[in-house]
Amino acid sequence: MANMNLYSRNDRIFVIVNMVLIGIFTISTLYPFIYIASLSFSSGFEARAGNVILTPIETTLEAYKYILSERMFWVSYGNTFIYTIGGTIMSLLFLIPGAYALSRPQIYGRRFWNLLVAFTMWFNAGLIPFFLNMRDLGLLDSYFGIIIGFAVNGFNLILLRNFFEGVPSSFEEAARMDGANDFQVLVKVYMPLAKPAIATVALFCIVSRWNGFFWAMVLLQDEDKIPLQVFLRHTIVTLSDDQQFTATLVNASYSVETVSAAIIVCSIVPVLIIYPFIQKYFEKGILLGGVKE
Amino acid sequence: MSGVKLESIVKAYGAVQVVHGIDLEVKEKEFVVLVGPSGCGKSTTLRMVAGLEEISDGTLTIDGKVVNRIAPKDRDVAMVFQNYALYPHLDVAENIAFGLRIRKESKENIEKAIKDVAGILGLENYLERRPADLSGGQRQRVAMGRAIVRRPKVFLFDEPLSNLDAKLRTQMRAEIKRLHQRLGVTSIYVTHDQVEAMTLADRIVVMNDGRIEQVGSPMELFLNPVNAFVAGFLGAPPMNQIQAVISGGDAAPIAEFAGQQFTLPPLPGLQNAVGRKVIVGIRPEYATPQTKAVEGSVSCTLELVETLGSEALLHTTIGGEPFVIRTETLGNMDQLNAVNGFTADPALIKVFDAETGVALSGQLRVA
Amino acid sequence: MSDAATPKPAVTHFVNKRPVSQRIVDHLKREWQIYLMLAPTVIWLLLFLYKPMYGLQIAFKDYSIFRGVAASPWIGFDHFETLFASEQFLRALKNTIYISMMSLIIGFPVPILLALMFNEVLHQTFKKTAQTIVYLPHFISSVIIAGIVITAFSPSAGIVNTILSWFDIDPIYFLTKPEWFRPIFIGTTIWQEAGFQSIVFIAAISGVSPTLYESAVVDGASRWQMMWKITVPSIIIMLIIRIGNMLEVSFEMIILLYQPATYETADVVNTFIYRQGLQSGQYDFAAAAGLFNAVIAFVLVMTANSISKRYSRTSLW
Repeated sequence: MANMNLYSRNDRIFVIVNMVLIGIFTISTLYPFIYIASLSFSSGFEARAGNVILTPIETTLEAYKYILSERMFWVSYGNTFIYTIGGTIMSLLFLIPGAYALSRPQIYGRRFWNLLVAFTMWFNAGLIPFFLNMRDLGLLDSYFGIIIGFAVNGFNLILLRNFFEGVPSSFEEAARMDGANDFQVLVKVYMPLAKPAIATVALFCIVSRWNGFFWAMVLLQDEDKIPLQVFLRHTIVTLSDDQQFTATLVNASYSVETVSAAIIVCSIVPVLIIYPFIQKYFEKGILLGGVKE
Repeated sequence: MSGVKLESIVKAYGAVQVVHGIDLEVKEKEFVVLVGPSGCGKSTTLRMVAGLEEISDGTLTIDGKVVNRIAPKDRDVAMVFQNYALYPHLDVAENIAFGLRIRKESKENIEKAIKDVAGILGLENYLERRPADLSGGQRQRVAMGRAIVRRPKVFLFDEPLSNLDAKLRTQMRAEIKRLHQRLGVTSIYVTHDQVEAMTLADRIVVMNDGRIEQVGSPMELFLNPVNAFVAGFLGAPPMNQIQAVISGGDAAPIAEFAGQQFTLPPLPGLQNAVGRKVIVGIRPEYATPQTKAVEGSVSCTLELVETLGSEALLHTTIGGEPFVIRTETLGNMDQLNAVNGFTADPALIKVFDAETGVALSGQLRVA
Repeated sequence: MSDAATPKPAVTHFVNKRPVSQRIVDHLKREWQIYLMLAPTVIWLLLFLYKPMYGLQIAFKDYSIFRGVAASPWIGFDHFETLFASEQFLRALKNTIYISMMSLIIGFPVPILLALMFNEVLHQTFKKTAQTIVYLPHFISSVIIAGIVITAFSPSAGIVNTILSWFDIDPIYFLTKPEWFRPIFIGTTIWQEAGFQSIVFIAAISGVSPTLYESAVVDGASRWQMMWKITVPSIIIMLIIRIGNMLEVSFEMIILLYQPATYETADVVNTFIYRQGLQSGQYDFAAAAGLFNAVIAFVLVMTANSISKRYSRTSLW
């Protein structure tokens, strides 16, 4: 924006105070992550004693050794990849053509179709009917159920639709004059043009799939199908009450705290890896989708 | 023969009709320009020919075949869009080849076609660039390349030059004309710019409010506009139009306005017309400025002189109404500043009915 | 010009001569691919979101898994009567309202303040870095956040109790204490979401034309004045929308953090439904609670929508 000289001395104090406050908020956001990371690399004894505050004490990889030797950790990690990749691809297969169709002015009942989408964002049947429906469809305890059951989401659909609406219609018309059918128009012209919007939606899907736990917990009984988050919850929430586990820890160099922290670190790392990409797109994405409707 | 024939073409959105039954025949190899103010239905008409808008009623024939219900891609027409609609993710060669690829032409054919088109349009050095890296004129050329590469029966142009600056527009105008002469493809061109219409067209179609006002060669329309609308639309600056009342006899009709008189030609349309309200139309070019009262001169008040170098526009008023005279300067500014009236050859004066705008005067022969 | 001279043709009322059925056939012949693209999404919506709405009727039925939704007998409002006689449900309702009100009052100003503050930062690198960090928790799963909270508040090893011990305060088992649940929960959600929510407000603020700011500088306004006069009005609409979404308490997080000892302050309608329906199998009864919740939420959202529409028409933009 404008330059500093425009402002008086009072304003400069305001600017500095402002920066300090933001700094405090930022540090308080960052600290818990640092704390957890330090815990995961500390010895069980020091962690139990509450001595870890900022940096690892008695640095050790024992907690990681423990979880990396857990079969369920690898199984659930693999499952999470299946749900994340499969679910994101499934979502895009529905969302891209659906959003494109909704953005076309020529379809009959366009208002009706759009209302059909918007209404699901205002009114939700709730947990029980959704669960019973999944059961009636035979989608309990299945990979496919998790992947298909959450494929479409009104927000993402509208975000993409708004983007497609913003593309000048002459692109479609030019492609049609060039001999393209609707699928070719979408794949060869609109999808390349919509790359930022599609990337945004794909990233939203990836994050929500990676993080999803509630429905996986409700819909999946078979331990071998649970995703990482459910395993994590099991470990964190139930491990601390598990007398047997606590008993094995007496002489071990890891503890409930360090093991939990290590799993947390392992499941955050992939998010941190794609986070720069998310950051690149989501501000734009929010602007694209958030304003209309 | 790849002509285009529109018979009673109607466009309606729901019950609201916007194009009211257009009849037009575009002959093979002809360059026809649809011109009119914005919202007159010219673009809609063009888009109906392209197949981008449904035809509500009437019959559209291309190359002897009724195409009302044929998809754009199967009509064998190509279109140049106002914003060019170049695919930003493809380079120039790929943009030009897009249609051929979609139609699954062979690789050799495509490469040859790109080469030919690039040669015709002088794009050889830009084939690997993206549209974003091209200048306005180059983009325009790529858009045309994309149209001509398929060798369609008909070219459609939707205000293709309106995004260019004035100088480039003049240049591209000439290029389009040359291209048409070279390729000889039937063309329909939509513009709101009457200069483009005059310079490019074999025939001009003047449209207004969803109807055709007049069809004819540029000179026909310039010299013999059928009504006040066409007269006012073509020519720059536009024809002066003065409200007047007819007096005098059939043999020597006179138009009276603002306390002044003007001799009119004894036209058939002015018989028994005494007392009739008319519009007198005088083109700025056909008024001869005077510095003192001479026989048949009309006095006017000079407000402003706009000099264009060899020519000047004299902005004057007659009884408060604006009247523009176009004249050669011959370097004599004092002479221009002293203008206080003008004369006009009665034979070049147009007279229109004040109510309907229909021309009352006879025809001028096109030289 | 000559407009006056040319009579405007009357708008012609167009009557299409082709029969409607014929026109529909033409239309489908031309556009069938578009409908083919739309079909999967529409079918999905019907199958996964609208069919459950049909299934909501079990709220008025004596539902049995074996009979299914349609064949179960109607029992009218019995479930709702039980519901409103249930102390647990009323407690959950009260907790829901209490938690969302408190979240709104305490939590709503935070992202706005953040957005306003970010808007005033001129140092771009500092701004980008800070934003990157404060947005991050939004993308971390609630299980992890809950894990962090549980670890940090653990009585033996948690950092919170460690700090308390410096002041000779005995360890507190925070997550088993009803009086601590709400502050911890609300604090956690603010910590997790405030940064991300500020994006929307930053967008709203940057939607204010920069020329407005520039002319204010020329007019001699201080930055503080400019913030209040120009930026704040652009935020009011967001507030109305947030009030509309008030019932959205993040129950996933509550499920992760609460335990029987803290139900009295922690149990909200959705966790109640989860326990009654999915854990105890009282589907019809839980569906009734869900229906009640959904209807209230719907009314709130629609009211907020219409208010914000009316407001935005008369507002700055």
